[in-house]
Amino acid sequence: MSYEDWFRQDRLPHIYCAGCGNGTIINCTLAAVDEMGWKKEETIFVSGIGCSSRAPGYILTDSLHTTHGRALAFATGVKMANPDLHVVVFTGDGDLAAIGGNHFIHACRRNIDLTVVCMNNQIYGMTGGQGSPTTPKGCLSSTTPYGCTEIPFDLCELATAAGANYVSRWTSYHVKELEKAVKVGLETPGFSFIEALVQCPTAFGRRNKFRQVTDHVEYLKVHSLLKAKRDRMLEAGEKIPEDMYVVGELTKRSRPAMGVKP
Amino acid sequence: MKLAIDETRCKGCNLCTKICPYKIFKEGKKPNRKGTVVPELDRPERCTNCRLRNLYGRQLCGVCQLTCPDQAIHWTEEEPYELHKVAIEY
Ligand SMILES: Cc1ncc(C[n+]2csc(CCOP(=O)(O)OP(=O)(O)O)c2C)c(N)n1
Ligand code: SF4
Ligand code: SF4
Ligand SMILES: [Mg+2]
Repeated sequence: MSYEDWFRQDRLPHIYCAGCGNGTIINCTLAAVDEMGWKKEETIFVSGIGCSSRAPGYILTDSLHTTHGRALAFATGVKMANPDLHVVVFTGDGDLAAIGGNHFIHACRRNIDLTVVCMNNQIYGMTGGQGSPTTPKGCLSSTTPYGCTEIPFDLCELATAAGANYVSRWTSYHVKELEKAVKVGLETPGFSFIEALVQCPTAFGRRNKFRQVTDHVEYLKVHSLLKAKRDRMLEAGEKIPEDMYVVGELTKRSRPAMGVKP
Repeated sequence: MKLAIDETRCKGCNLCTKICPYKIFKEGKKPNRKGTVVPELDRPERCTNCRLRNLYGRQLCGVCQLTCPDQAIHWTEEEPYELHKVAIEY
């Protein structure tokens, strides 16, 4: 079996724009799920609202496409009602960190046995490119036409501080690494959070001087800083450049988890 | 195995041209019936998975397939090589 068997072939091609990174993240997540050897009847995908949240609609298993920001609330319900199910959540930066911010921190605090994959395109893609809580400083969006002046959320640090058992960050360039990270997330009991930085050529790239999709992916590649290298730089007392994203396995621990069968 | 791009799915984003370690995908030149400029394959028989998949019995490399946001890249089984009789015309 391969991860291609998890797609609803009749629903493809999907509606994402040409070059949208969401498709890549679905591939990597399904490849990891496939490696776990789980049955389709025992795996559930849950999402909120947004381009990223359309993902479960392209997957063969049972799924819930819920209300904006509430994916984690619904996923908690599914997991508590039947802890035998494997629950994977697809979400976007707006869905998870803006309207769904409270659900996010409390799901981390409770350390519920879910795996959450956040496709962070740093923008509200679906509604026409409004700035989100993760839009970087200086970036243009339809609500920040002179450049965003706010400090963005670091979703991984937020998840770690709130108590998640497993946290890692990769980008749509690092497909193999992302696949492995999702697999570790699926294996880890408790709340696993995987942030995937993705390109949104339509709402973000177009306004921020990424003429080609490949330019944005190249940007993500050269602005990724491996956690091990970051730690070495910190030890040597060097300054970490502000525009770098720390990638890798950021947190792995075994706090008591909810929804895990003893 | 044989590498192929599904033209009904490809949206012409050219991400595959960036990530293949052998640079097998080259930017296409002509739009197809749907208006998509699908990349061309430059000597795809160099692909690791094409050459060694059946020998190793598992997927090799495969970054293009994982990266393609539109699930357009796949491999098909090739017909076993058959000897052909060559008719020589005088
Ligand atoms: C309660 C509610 N408020 C607002 C909206 C409008 N809305 C739809 S999608 C969206 C933003 C989605 O952004 P994100 O989660 O980052 O997903 P993306 O499209 O970027 O993948 C908003 C605000 C809504 N559908 N429901
Ligand atoms: S608007 Fe952005 S996030 Fe939505 S499908 Fe298009 S590229 Fe993807
Ligand atoms: S990555 Fe996929 S959709 Fe993009 S050009 Fe290549 S085959 Fe087409
Ligand atoms: Mg978004």
